[in-house]
Amino acid sequence: MISIPYILLIAFAGALLSFVIHHIAPKLRTPVALLTTVLLLYFVWALPANSLINIKIGDFILTWGTTAYGQLFGMLVAVLGFFTVLYSTDFMASKERLGYFYMNFLFVIGGMLGIVYSQDFISLFFFWEIMTWSSFMLVIYCCKDAQSIGLKYFVFSAIGAYSILIGIVLLYSSMGTLQFKNIFGHINEISTGIKISVIILMIIGFGVKSALMPLHVWAPDAYAVSPSPFTALFSGALSKMGIFGIGLVLFKLAAHTGFYSYVQYTLAWIGGITALLATFYAIAQTDAKKLLAYSSIGQLGYIIVGLAIGTPLSIAAALFLAILHAIFKSMLFMATGAVYMRTGTTNMTEVSGLIRKMPISFVTALFGIITVAGVPPLGGFAAKWMLYESLIQSGHYFLVIVIFAASTAAFLYLFRYIFSLFLGQEEKEWENVKEVPWTMQIPMILMTIFVLVIGVFPGLLLDPISSAMQYLNVKPFDYQMSVLFNNWGGKVDMQIVVRSIAAVFILLGIFITIKGYRNTRYVTTKDIHTSGEIPTENENLTYAVDFYKPFERSIAPLLKASIDKVYTLTGDIFEQAFDYLRYVYTGNGQTYAMYVVLFLAILLLFSELIFGIIL
Amino acid sequence: MSPVHFIAIPLFAAFLIPLVGKVSKNLVKLIPGIVFLYLSYVAITLFPIGIHKPIVEIIAGFKAPFGISLYYGPLAAFLTTMITLIGFVIWLYSYKFIIREPIEKYYMLFMMLITGSTGIVLTGDVFNLFVFLEITAIAAYSLTAFLRDKDGAEAAFKYLLIGSFSSTFVLLAIVLLYANVHTLNMADIATKISSVPLTTRIFILILFLMGLGIESEMFPLNGWAPDAYSQAPSPVGAVFGGIVVKASIYALMRLIYLMFEFQSVMHFLVIMGVITMLIAEMSAMRQQQIKRMLAFSSIGQMGLVIIAFGVGTEPSVRAALFQMFNHALIKSLLFFAAGYLVFHSGSKKISALDGLGHDKPITSFFFAFGALAIIGLPPFSGFWSKLYVLLSVANSGLFAAVALILFSSVVEAIYYLRVVSRLYFNTEVATDVRRTPVSGLVAMGILTLVILFVGFYPNLVLHWMTPAANELLNKAAYIKAGLFH
Repeated sequence: MISIPYILLIAFAGALLSFVIHHIAPKLRTPVALLTTVLLLYFVWALPANSLINIKIGDFILTWGTTAYGQLFGMLVAVLGFFTVLYSTDFMASKERLGYFYMNFLFVIGGMLGIVYSQDFISLFFFWEIMTWSSFMLVIYCCKDAQSIGLKYFVFSAIGAYSILIGIVLLYSSMGTLQFKNIFGHINEISTGIKISVIILMIIGFGVKSALMPLHVWAPDAYAVSPSPFTALFSGALSKMGIFGIGLVLFKLAAHTGFYSYVQYTLAWIGGITALLATFYAIAQTDAKKLLAYSSIGQLGYIIVGLAIGTPLSIAAALFLAILHAIFKSMLFMATGAVYMRTGTTNMTEVSGLIRKMPISFVTALFGIITVAGVPPLGGFAAKWMLYESLIQSGHYFLVIVIFAASTAAFLYLFRYIFSLFLGQEEKEWENVKEVPWTMQIPMILMTIFVLVIGVFPGLLLDPISSAMQYLNVKPFDYQMSVLFNNWGGKVDMQIVVRSIAAVFILLGIFITIKGYRNTRYVTTKDIHTSGEIPTENENLTYAVDFYKPFERSIAPLLKASIDKVYTLTGDIFEQAFDYLRYVYTGNGQTYAMYVVLFLAILLLFSELIFGIIL
Repeated sequence: MSPVHFIAIPLFAAFLIPLVGKVSKNLVKLIPGIVFLYLSYVAITLFPIGIHKPIVEIIAGFKAPFGISLYYGPLAAFLTTMITLIGFVIWLYSYKFIIREPIEKYYMLFMMLITGSTGIVLTGDVFNLFVFLEITAIAAYSLTAFLRDKDGAEAAFKYLLIGSFSSTFVLLAIVLLYANVHTLNMADIATKISSVPLTTRIFILILFLMGLGIESEMFPLNGWAPDAYSQAPSPVGAVFGGIVVKASIYALMRLIYLMFEFQSVMHFLVIMGVITMLIAEMSAMRQQQIKRMLAFSSIGQMGLVIIAFGVGTEPSVRAALFQMFNHALIKSLLFFAAGYLVFHSGSKKISALDGLGHDKPITSFFFAFGALAIIGLPPFSGFWSKLYVLLSVANSGLFAAVALILFSSVVEAIYYLRVVSRLYFNTEVATDVRRTPVSGLVAMGILTLVILFVGFYPNLVLHWMTPAANELLNKAAYIKAGLFH
């Protein structure tokens, strides 16, 4: 009963059903969608480890099967899918065209589950395309700029997907099969030229989805414009499909070739540069969602670095970060979505001081940024630690510097994010803002608990990761439930770390309570003196505009040199050229008759060239 | 039961319609429906027989190679079934769409066109082929001008102008052929063609390429197409894309495979296919009118079919046939949907479609569905055929062609999705109290279901494609069946 076809069937049937039911009984639409994701979660969780199924379609045998690697991402998709749909129930409640929304949402989830269970390239591509067009449909769901942004997203996705397809076609024409089991490990049977092309094309293709620079330009806008629940899934799970693919290509295809080290080296540097530049761009953003989008690009850069370095510890770090990023970035996007729902904007210069209005969202955002920053005791620390260790171990000192710079600079935008939205001065405009409904709180709370638990017991997550790595033919690495090791025998015991931090906090708490027990007084932001003056109601005491002006000025040349302009220019040139070209069809019958005659003349005159015969 | 019904019944109906029109206009509308129902009955009865062993029907008692014979093999079985299916939905769609008089002339011409195209597909005689080509072409010219407005007349005139080139070339080719081999039976020609001097053969080939290339929209011979598609009534656009062009490309490929299987011809076809596809897709990008855009897209798809035929291996011919089938369905759906979108918005311009998705959700949905399908996205049928074309082209080592096909797919995606997002996501909501008639929706619904079904179960069609492709490639079997049945 519990097998992969059922999982896919549930996802796609649920999608269609929620669309149909939207027109029949609108009230049932959300429960149907929610039920679908609950069922999916259960089915994916209970899926036997050795499921394998072959389906003949056309000339191809599609193979779907579970691998530890696929299951790792499958669980991620199912969990995030459930959380985001739960989050949507209230977030989207007042929106239009919900049938359309949920249908495409579930299509995306179904597509992603299809990808992770694919055991041949045809299924992989099939589900990849389903995921692509349904996510496109969600990007253009709302807002006025959505069309051009969505189109940009689709064009990049299409270019990515088609480069994967050319890779697939090349593989098929040289190996005659597209089954993973016949291709992985037999890659050296084909010529080096084709091997190189396949690997490069596939990395480009998967790189588009994981927003690898310079293929990232679609991401900030697409993330910013899509509805918040979907942004959480988009950045959390969808971008991980790119990572999933790159993992497959690197360890199942490239690892057996002679030029593996070059691929690794190049990819690692691209990842590193992506991490650094994206962080800089993030700092300069004023829109919270765009900030998080660039942050996502940066984090994906780290993951790519980890995968590319290719030591057991670095791969573990990358996969750990991949899962963790999915969770914490969803937390942040959900918190931002909560703010958006209550204030109607994600512009960080407008919203401020929501901490007491929306405590749950604040705590979620706080835990989110702590995880991003990699501060113990949350999960981000373990990920960053493993990544640094592995980089130093394998001698990538320059890369360490780049990554470290990016990681430090990340503090800037994280601080800006939480300060602008939640801290700062409480404003009259947002006086009546309330916390979001419980359906939106639950996913946020659960994920917050998750990052905390993973921080203390990284082993919980490292268990499935190490079995996934086994599938990728990577040597096992050392870890315990809450202890991480490096190669020099050093170790980090997370429990000790947590205990120390907890102790500090408890002592601090006791100290503050004892010291201030008597004269506690509730203080608002305006309850102060500035140089003897009492601030008036409208006076602005905190700043949100030009937050990092000096910093922005110092990196201005970087910000200005945008690859996006190059793409836009290329696109414009193409369109102009196409526009001229269409005047080949003049609309004049005589011209067309002339073409016919000319073509005949060409055929007759150049018959030797064309048919090899002189007439 | 005999394949001659495919030709005789529509022809008979075409003569009947003006007579019945004197009595009742409503009855006129029903006749094509009855014809198609009968033809589908014929198709269902003959299909299982023809797919295994070709049925060769002798007309007027003269045996081949002297008389005219019909050849109902797997390929013809497939194509006649397709024409019947598309014809049926076009009739269903036209039922409420064609309200302008003279209705009986529309249906008469439509029936003539069906006669012509099934004739092209079935005939085993090269002069007979010419006759049917003419019947089809003349019906098509008149249908283009059916609305009797200035633009329609102009488009029809251009079509006529270029079409007469086509007739001339084909006739010249047949004359030359007959002068050299003294027979008109296609199977017989195939046996005797090798005795003809090579230069003559090439000259005949060039004439066929020119003549049939015009009808099958090969660049640069396709100047007539964008105008004809966009100025004719919308169901006629589907007729062109789904039936006329398909029959013509069949004729071209049948002749080439039967008589001129030089390797260099095939390369030439691939190159022409690529050029046709690229120029058409690029031109489609900046079109202002939706039906013109669809016309260019149609040409582009034909380019893809020509490429696949040009590769000339068994998988590629199969892929070409599959692509033809899918394109016929999907482009008809798009023309149908576009027809009502144009009707509701009151303008042929793409910019007039803003927000129509809210006002006319079902029609817009069909358009969006068709757009996704024709780009070649899963799980629609277009995905599989494009994939098959790509794989078969790559298997012959033509990687540049693969890259160019995918490049044009990106372009295709851009212009289609632009329209789709305009439909749904531009705020300006135009409202039109008129509703899309049920018959039109049913026609589109049938196509949608078939597209989806084939998308999930491509074997349904592919299964029959293998014998069809083999028929085209296996010259000896054709000759044997055609001459010594």
